[in-house]
Amino acid sequence: MLTVRLAWRNLWRNRRRTVITVAAVALNTAVLIASYGLMDGMVVDTVHNITYLTVGDAQAHAPGYRREHSLYQDLQDPQALLAAADRAGIGAAPRAYGFGLVSSGSKSAGARFWGVVPARELQAFELARQLRQGRFLDEVSLPAGKRPVVLGNKLARSLHATVGSELVAVVQAVDGSLGNELFTVVGVLKTAGEDIDRTAAIIRHDDFAELFVSGGRVHEIAFNARGRLTPEQVVTLLQPAAAGAELLTWKKILPQLADMVQLFDAVIWIFGLIFMLAAALGVVNTLLMSTFERIHEFGVLKALGAGPLRIVRDVAAEAFLLALLSTLIGVAVGVVATVYLQHHGIDLSGLGGDITFGGVAFNPIWRATLTARIVWVPVVSMWLVCVLAALYPAAKAARLNVVRALTHV
Amino acid sequence: MKTETMLGTLLVMGLAAGPLAAGSGRDARAILDKVDDLYRSRSSHARMVMRVVTEHWSRELTMEAWTKGKEKSLVRILAPKKEKGMATLKVGNDIWNWLPKVKRVMKVPSSMMSDSWMGSHFTNDDMVKESRMADDYDFQVTFSGERRGKQVVEITCIPKPQAPVEWGQVVVLVEDGSWLPLLMTYYDEDGELARTFTFSAVKKMGGRTIPTEMRIVPANKPGEYTLVRYQDIEFDVELPDDMFSLRRLRR
Repeated sequence: MLTVRLAWRNLWRNRRRTVITVAAVALNTAVLIASYGLMDGMVVDTVHNITYLTVGDAQAHAPGYRREHSLYQDLQDPQALLAAADRAGIGAAPRAYGFGLVSSGSKSAGARFWGVVPARELQAFELARQLRQGRFLDEVSLPAGKRPVVLGNKLARSLHATVGSELVAVVQAVDGSLGNELFTVVGVLKTAGEDIDRTAAIIRHDDFAELFVSGGRVHEIAFNARGRLTPEQVVTLLQPAAAGAELLTWKKILPQLADMVQLFDAVIWIFGLIFMLAAALGVVNTLLMSTFERIHEFGVLKALGAGPLRIVRDVAAEAFLLALLSTLIGVAVGVVATVYLQHHGIDLSGLGGDITFGGVAFNPIWRATLTARIVWVPVVSMWLVCVLAALYPAAKAARLNVVRALTHV
Repeated sequence: MKTETMLGTLLVMGLAAGPLAAGSGRDARAILDKVDDLYRSRSSHARMVMRVVTEHWSRELTMEAWTKGKEKSLVRILAPKKEKGMATLKVGNDIWNWLPKVKRVMKVPSSMMSDSWMGSHFTNDDMVKESRMADDYDFQVTFSGERRGKQVVEITCIPKPQAPVEWGQVVVLVEDGSWLPLLMTYYDEDGELARTFTFSAVKKMGGRTIPTEMRIVPANKPGEYTLVRYQDIEFDVELPDDMFSLRRLRR
């Protein structure tokens, strides 16, 4: 305790020097926290963009469906999976898929029909809210007998269709017959990735069942725990209800994107390390200078009978106290900056248009995230840097003979 | 006849059947032309049944078809009830479908031309191609003699370099003497078997002796096939030009 009190008193003997050092360390800590927040935010955002839109943390399919996309490979017991997800509070959206032809006026194109349950899409995923035009399926009231459809934006453009357009759909139904039906366009999606943009024709599951004579068939259930559970936990939790189905995390469903995220994470932390080194150099410089200034003082202590260990211990305590104080201020400033960047973000949309990569659309607002690791990594590193930077000149002083130290300028 | 493909062969027409060049009983070109022209005429009117069997379902469609020249054809479905009245109009390289349930005409986009026609193993492309084998392929007689109790001639056709043909090779087997086709085998560009057409039930119909049944078997889907059976066909009937118009299609 005495060591700490001595250290505290020592710190304020040269108020100006201490304030400069504290300011330097605090500023570096704050900048590190904010930039780590932005970097982490980029990774979190990437994963969010991949999973929240349609894919989710995990998906269930019939084995082989992901390879063949056959109308006949449907889930055996989708209700059991939906019930299990509901019990666990995991968002779950069942979807049926089928290919067919759509036309509007004299334009026609191939499309992939999505038979969705609108309420579940709205609750678990964001696609239903990502509309460039119009509303999602059940948010509009159409005259009786009219069926709503939401189109991917490139599909809508190639059909020259807008909200209110009438669409003819022709498909080969499950029983081989030719299903055809009229739909009314109620919404057009924002850019959501190449596949969805070019082919998605999203309709209600009931209308899908009628068009494809497919009854209750469901080809996919996407689960989204909205960050409460990891993808792996979601799979473990739902596995008992997934008999006969293939239940996989998004990382297994989209391995290229998972690899990309992993690589991205590594690259970002290498940048983080470089930032850290730059910050450490600044701090080391300040601390080295302030300790060297005091070699004369250490000579006096030695002359009064202080052993080398005692000097090293005092200097270390002082440095640690200083680091503690500085990082406290740094954390306060850094966290405030990160929270600001979390809410307001940096708008990159000026860099040009929609950003898509690997078939996934990215949010043009770059936001930070506040996590434990973006705070503790800079703080602990700063502590180490401060103590080590102070120990080197102190150890040197402790070994000097008294006369040399006393005459050291 | 990737080219003169089936419904193509069946529905599309052309010149009257060319007589085999005198004295060249095994002239490959004459044989191919004869096969091409078998179902062709200035115009025709036919009723047929198409049976489609797939892994998941099988069904039978009754159809009525009209053709005029090589360019124009119209097929209307008579049964089953769900598809009754559906029609496909082909003029040149374009195909339109009439959907009576929603009362709309839909043009088949070029990107869907290699997709199935009406759920069968024919593609939309099969419906519109109208070139002649002898023009698109280099060919030669590769077998002549007895096979399965029949005197046959086998002609192997390899597409000419610039021909708009998706196959690597087509082998045509005809009966010696009558020159009626028995079997046509299509190989893809890697030399793998792609599909086979089998002709059978030779009858006199509409004044010609023709195979009245044709079966198409895709090589990559074991157990599946499409069988077309003519119930009735008339050649060189009078048909008004506007029969093949979009306006009439909407009738």
